[in-house]
Order: sequence, then C-alpha cells, then structure tokens
Amino acid sequence: MNAGPLLSARGLNAGYGDFQALFDVDFHIAAGEVVALIGANGAGKSTMLKTFVGLVPVRGGTVTFDGIDVSQTPAHALAVQGLAMVPEGRRLFRGMTVEDNLRVAADHARHLPADDRPWTLERLYDLFPILAERRGQAVEKLSGGQQQMVAIGRALMMQPKVLLCDEISLGLAPKVIGEIYAMLPAIRQSGTAILLVEQDVTLATRSSDRVCCLLEGRIVLTGRSSELSRETIAKAYFGVGHEVG
Amino acid sequence: MKWVDAVVQGLLLGSLYAQYAIGMSLMFGVMRIVNIAHGDLVVLLALIGISIAAVLGLGPGFIVLLLVPIGAAVGWILQRGILNWAVGEDPLPSLIATFGLSLALQNFMLTVWQADTRSLDAGALTTRSVELMGIHVGVLPLLIAVVAVVLTWSLHMALKTTKFGRALRAAAADSVAATISGVNTKAIYAQATAIAVAVLGIAAVFQATRTTVSPSDGGAQLIYAFEAVIIGGMGSIWGAFVGGLILGVAQVVGSRIDPGWGILIGHLVFLLVLAWRPQGLLSRR
Repeated sequence: MNAGPLLSARGLNAGYGDFQALFDVDFHIAAGEVVALIGANGAGKSTMLKTFVGLVPVRGGTVTFDGIDVSQTPAHALAVQGLAMVPEGRRLFRGMTVEDNLRVAADHARHLPADDRPWTLERLYDLFPILAERRGQAVEKLSGGQQQMVAIGRALMMQPKVLLCDEISLGLAPKVIGEIYAMLPAIRQSGTAILLVEQDVTLATRSSDRVCCLLEGRIVLTGRSSELSRETIAKAYFGVGHEVG
Repeated sequence: MKWVDAVVQGLLLGSLYAQYAIGMSLMFGVMRIVNIAHGDLVVLLALIGISIAAVLGLGPGFIVLLLVPIGAAVGWILQRGILNWAVGEDPLPSLIATFGLSLALQNFMLTVWQADTRSLDAGALTTRSVELMGIHVGVLPLLIAVVAVVLTWSLHMALKTTKFGRALRAAAADSVAATISGVNTKAIYAQATAIAVAVLGIAAVFQATRTTVSPSDGGAQLIYAFEAVIIGGMGSIWGAFVGGLILGVAQVVGSRIDPGWGILIGHLVFLLVLAWRPQGLLSRR
C-alpha cells in the first residue's frame, strides 16, 4: 500500500462539447477517507465525478489512480480497477432482479482472491436485509430508498478502492437518508475511500473528514469538515461577492 | 383435417421465420438497432454456403458447421467496423447504416453470384416425410422446427443465467450504468451481433435446402423477420419465436383459402396485431 493519495487530480480540465465545466481542479483523496464535494447547482460536482470514472473525457491535466495516470483509461476498465460510482438518479438495470443487478457488478469486480473480497452478496444482504427479502424482484418494483440501497450495493460489489456517490440522498425521506448514511462507516472500514456529492451541506460536513467546495468549475475551498465554519462554507458556496443572509 | 394440416405446416414454415427473427430481436433488444440488412445477410451466407458446397462437395451438415463461425465473424466485423459507430440514443444513424449496407450487399451478391436462383442439395432429406396422427410432416421442416426451439431456448437461457447474458441485459437497460459496472458495452455489442448473424448461418442453410435463394431475396426475409419480431414484442426472444410461428400459420392458412392470398394474409395478421397490441404479444410493457 503506498502512502500517497489513492485518487488525485492535478490541473484537471473537463467539459462537454463547447462547454467547459472544470477549470484547473486539484484534488486528492486517501484510502479510508471520506471527502464531501459541495457546491451550487451547475458548479461541476457531477462532472468532476464523471471525469474521474472516465465518462467525461479529460481535456487537460491528469487524473492519477493508485499511482497510475488514468486520464485516458476507458470507463469500464477504470471500474474493474476499483473506481466505482453510485450515479445520480441510481440508474439501476430496469427489468432485472435485485440480485442480477448486483451480480452484473460482481461479474466485473476488481480481481481479488475470494477470501480478500470485502464485499459479498451475503455481507450486503446482512447490511440491507430488505434486499435479501426482495432479491428475486424486478428493481423497479422497489421503493426509492431500497433502489438506492441496490445502487450502492451494486457499486460495492465492484470491490471499490474509491467509491464516488452522486447525490445519494436525492428524493429520499429523511429517515431513509439516515439509514443510507449510516452505511458509510462500514464502507470506509474496509479501506475504501468515499467521495460524496451532497446538496445538504450540514449532512455533508457531518458525514465527512474533509470538504471541497466547487464554484463555477473551480475548487474555492477545501478543509477539514470539523474546522470549517458555516460562514466560510457559505462564502465559498455562493462566491465571495455575494451577500449571504 | 385440412385445417389442422394447414396449421401444422404453418408452424413448420414459421419455425424458419423464427430462426431469422431471434437474431433480429436480440440486436434490437440490446442495441435498439433495426438491422435492415438482416435478410441480405441470410442470402449472403446461403450463397457462400452453396459455393463452398459446390467447390468442396460437402453436404449441408458440414456447411452449417462452416457457416456458423463465418456468420459470427461477419457479425463481429460488422458491429466493430460499422454499427458501433452508429449505435446510440438516436435509432436513425444505425437504420441508415444498415439500409446502405443492404444495398451494398445486394449489389455485391449480384456481381459475384449473378441473379440466378440456387439451392443446396440435401439429398433424400428434402423429400422424406413421417406421418404424425394422420398428418404428413416433412423431416426437413421438422428438423427446422426442432432447431428453432433449441436455438430460442438456448439464447433465452444464455441471456437469463450467464455472465454474458447479464452484461447484455445490463447494457440494454442502461449502457452508462453498465459501463461504470465494468461492462465493456462495445465488446458486448460486437458479441451480440456475432451471435445474431451466427444464427443466420444456420437459418441460411435451411433456407437454401428448403427452397431457393437469389441475391434479391433479402427484402422478403427481412420483412418476415421484422413482422415476427413486431408480432412477438420488440426485444423478447420467445416473442420473436412465437411471432414467427403466427406469421407462418397465417401464411399457410391464407394460402389454403386462396393460393394467392398466403403472403397477404400474413401481412394482414401483422397489421392486426400492430393495431390491437402495438407493443407485441409477449412484451412485458
């Protein structure tokens, strides 16, 4: 295990077509660390995650994963190397059962000897007993919270070194959000680094070790979650020139 | 008895349509590609098979063994070389690409094989028949029906239970989510098309032994496959099989009513299904 960051970006530029979404982003995350990525709508949070997993091409700068430059690595290969994402809106495989959704990921998981795999179907079903009960049902029959559990479970079955979560609380009841976030300690315990995109700033700071704030495609603030005041975050979130009531 | 016989003969004819249709259904279900060149690929493989049989003096059984890998290779190259560039949310690019391919293939076949009709000689198999409950059934059509069932069942089980099948269904449901789950969708697409065209290798031999082929026949085969897929429900493998059978029965029963009506009645049944249940008979929607 190397002591350096597991995933890092240096001078990262990325975007879609004529639109540039990220400007000179520097970022790093270490094994077992939880980092929250916050920012207003359109700040580039989702783009940053999609660039890391290879869904959005890198235009400039580098992305390094586990000591290797992965700027040009195709998305499916990155996933197999241990970079997993829970996408915004869950994006489950409709028409397939809960178990088949999980098994697609297990089929393409990072290669590990059977005894060293932190995540197995059994372990996942222990953590989310409701999924064991509904393993044979089509995913679209599940509630929103249960679907989110499948989405997280699917990413975990990849045996990720880094787990990127894009707005996993979106559209869920507060109680369900609590249940989902209660999972994070168990995930980081296995050494997995977690990068969270979260709209709820309070939830984001409470669940993370560090916070990064994006404003119009640039990282404007980064610091330990416990040491950042609400005012500092609000300033970075809305931009320095804005008055915050 | 005359009508029972018509239905049985229709089911046997429909089994051949089912063999064309399952590959088309697979391609549509996974990639949303309507392969306009589907019928031309049947004809191309049949003509290749006929030429190999003539040169090497091989029987239809050996030709099947050769045409399946040839079909798989053609499908793989087709997907890697052309269709992977056209596949996406918009169905139009792939429709235009396969339409162009269809025209190119027809002209290529005319140049190589001329406009003659040809067939494969299967010897006594073509004329032998057995009597089942008072109905004479040809051994070759019966073999075609058995192979159609086995192919449909195998493909269904492969989709349902194997790693490849899960990856295929995942890519069909959401290609981006499949990609971040480690599925190389472009490779999966190439394998799906390889399977679809490999199945046509089998269908081509049956087509060429049961009747004749000429370079311009592809259009009719395409329409039958397409209608079978629509009747059964787009993307459903068993649906394509059932659709093929229904089309076959409609054509044979129709031609018993009036010899000139067979094909027309088949099209009418297709239109009726389209009006009554546009999503297809076996569609889950």
